Amino acid sequence: MFSKILSYALNGLEGVAVEIETDINKGMVSYDLVGLPDTAVKESRERVRSAIKNSAYIFPITRVTINLAPADIKKEGSHYDLPIAVSLLKASDQLLVDTDGTVFLGELALDGTLRPVTGLLPILISARDKGFKRFIIPASNANEASYIEGLEVYALGSLKQVIAFLTGEEQCAPIQHRSYVAAKQSQNYNYDMSLVKGQAVARRALEIAVAGGHNILFVGPPGSGKTLLARCIPTIMPDMTFDEALEVTKIHSVAGELSEEGIVSLRPFRTPHHTATTVSLCGGGNTKIRPGEISMAHKGVLFLDELPEYSRHALESLRQPLEDKKITVTRAGGAVTYPADFMLCAGMNPCPCGNYGSAYRECTCTPAQILKYRAKISGPLMDRIDIQVEVDGVKYDDLAGDTSAESSAAVKERVERARAIQRERFRDEKEGMINSGMGEKQIKKYCRLSTECEAVLKTAYESLNLSARARTRIIKVARTIADLAFSEEIRPEHILEAASYRSYEAGIK
Amino acid sequence: MKYTAAEQNLIILSSIPELSQKERCAAISAGKQSGPDLAACKNSLIKRSDIGVYNKVEEDYASPAFRSAVLEQLEERGIECVTLLSAGYPAALKKIPDPPVTLFIKGRRELLSKKMFAIVGSRRSPAYATANCKNFSKELSNYFSVVSGFAAGADSAALEGADCRAVSVIAFGFDYLGGQANAALLKKVEQVGLLLSEHFPTVAPQVYLFPVRNRIIAGLSEGTLVVSAGKKSGALITASLAREYKRQVFAFPYNMGVSAGEGCNALIRDGAALCRNTGDILDFYGISPPKDGGVHLTDDEARVMEVLREEGEVFLPVLANKLGEPPYKLIPVLSSLEIKGLAVRLGGNRYSVL
Repeated sequence: MFSKILSYALNGLEGVAVEIETDINKGMVSYDLVGLPDTAVKESRERVRSAIKNSAYIFPITRVTINLAPADIKKEGSHYDLPIAVSLLKASDQLLVDTDGTVFLGELALDGTLRPVTGLLPILISARDKGFKRFIIPASNANEASYIEGLEVYALGSLKQVIAFLTGEEQCAPIQHRSYVAAKQSQNYNYDMSLVKGQAVARRALEIAVAGGHNILFVGPPGSGKTLLARCIPTIMPDMTFDEALEVTKIHSVAGELSEEGIVSLRPFRTPHHTATTVSLCGGGNTKIRPGEISMAHKGVLFLDELPEYSRHALESLRQPLEDKKITVTRAGGAVTYPADFMLCAGMNPCPCGNYGSAYRECTCTPAQILKYRAKISGPLMDRIDIQVEVDGVKYDDLAGDTSAESSAAVKERVERARAIQRERFRDEKEGMINSGMGEKQIKKYCRLSTECEAVLKTAYESLNLSARARTRIIKVARTIADLAFSEEIRPEHILEAASYRSYEAGIK
Repeated sequence: MKYTAAEQNLIILSSIPELSQKERCAAISAGKQSGPDLAACKNSLIKRSDIGVYNKVEEDYASPAFRSAVLEQLEERGIECVTLLSAGYPAALKKIPDPPVTLFIKGRRELLSKKMFAIVGSRRSPAYATANCKNFSKELSNYFSVVSGFAAGADSAALEGADCRAVSVIAFGFDYLGGQANAALLKKVEQVGLLLSEHFPTVAPQVYLFPVRNRIIAGLSEGTLVVSAGKKSGALITASLAREYKRQVFAFPYNMGVSAGEGCNALIRDGAALCRNTGDILDFYGISPPKDGGVHLTDDEARVMEVLREEGEVFLPVLANKLGEPPYKLIPVLSSLEIKGLAVRLGGNRYSVL
């Protein structure tokens, strides 16, 4: 008596089909589960036994061997409960139906109900690409599955229902495909640029940063509104396309952080604490390699407040993903590549006491202390932060002429127009390139400077004590400023404005 | 470098670490044709330590091995010496009560023969003071060698502004320069300007050496400009020494209550010349600078400058409000003014006129 049931194993965001083979023989009572199962899979035995019993079937009391093939891939997670239970019922002749081509996924409760599983979305997408069409999943995962087209997915509540559905006793319609647009409209950000009072310079810098995809650093005394500004970044970024949303949802699904909605339609905003380790930022783990904060922030914002307080090691680990937009984490269990295309936003105090540049309080730090504090952030990392801006050191309430602030929607409109210009410009380049991604070659091609601009850049370079590295970053930012102004060519005022967003570093020398 | 026997005597005297400045002077004044007489400092040395030390000093001074070792060490490090007896010893410095016996120098010796002017200030200077300091130093370096210390803040700005006419007076031996916070700047001064110290290169930094060093800054210079000084600042020591030596003291004026300027305002009250621009200093010395056409300003820049001049220090949104322009349009204008050296950015998006 032998049966074979399909399920799926996930490694990172990619997966392979797993065949669950059950063989029931006469002999000493035993239950062997082989094929590199991890603890959660091994423990499935108790859940499966109770679920079968409580669904009014009989758990075979004889010699049972279950193999998860291919046997050389580690099997992790609890979603093998359902396929194992179905396989057992088939092998013990309690279920006599054809299940070929159906992929089973689900965790069982002791009473036989189905619990949701993590990583369902990447499994469905990977399985679809490999040609599988028919799936049975827990009802609570229905939302997540409903955004994928071209699949026949049945979301059922319990083991009993699954059997009834398989035998045809109960009818069930496959999940209706839901459109992404509707989901998008139902979700909203909690923040808006209109909540930010004052901060004219920082607002402008933020707009430029988002328009060109530049990383940004806010420098300012504690309590000056750096965090609020950062929280507003997702609200002015262009809406995520369906493909982007799927990519993000996949990662969040693997991490088990998916909400009821089933899809992430808002750009993620992640704020790891400054005690975060390299592993928590980049991803890792003993058996299952989980995505780190930088992958969770994919297509969104990674906000590192109090930048100099992070461990040097953790910060340096960001350098390579900032360039490659992805990260490959290698552990004993294998290597996994997660996407990590995020916008880095950092906040820091100008000096250890925080009052440097404040209009109200005197800074008590010596120049040496300030230099030491700033030197905690390495040059190569600073190189990747195109825009450095000071937030206002003056309370806005103190100032006359309070005008109501612009809303995120208005800023977003301008950002989207600037992005459209960039799409047009880089149509021959790598897909999805924006100004911040330009290399030397593209800068030469798309950012030709007039002699007037060259002269301005040269004097700025000399009088502001800029480093040699600053040049390319100024040009890139100037390109974005020109895009926001609908200017085909980069004009001197664009260069001058771009140069003003670098002066923090200039002070360090 | 060749030195005469008399010069050598003074160099050796300055290189004996056990002796103090006072004792060296005593030895010289008691000396005869043959050179300084160490017996003159016998009593004070014995009082400070014991007879053994005195014997060692006397032995070292007389020992040809010690002498050649000293000269060799100086040669190795590329250090030149200018002694009280040397022709190139700055005349102004000779006039002070206790001039250094030997000046150990590194860099362009000829800077010593020019007229000198000191620009000093505290380490924690406000941004507009350091920016002004740099501008002043640049302009004055056309007529003077600019003398300063070597600390961060105002002193560094003065050295930067003077570029190849910068003279930095070090308070200890040259061997310890590498450990300084602004070692890179000092390296540059060594290459294009002049480093000067009264100490043998192996003398380690000590807190008490700094005020003593200030007498050299004040003594070398025709006048001293204090760009910033708190209530207790080393720059005030330099200023009071300069007054003692009958040299003119200039000071930047400050708003009442600005702690970085309390010392400057006190100096002005006590008779220092208030300094509004380089003209105030140059007029005093009877120098008339050639007229230049001034910096060309665009219309926008001129409008911004008008408000800046009126307010002195202005917060960007306030400036935008006054001019009726969106703040981001003013960023490039201010940036340009900053590059032209007419304005300076303070912290927190505030700007100040220079």
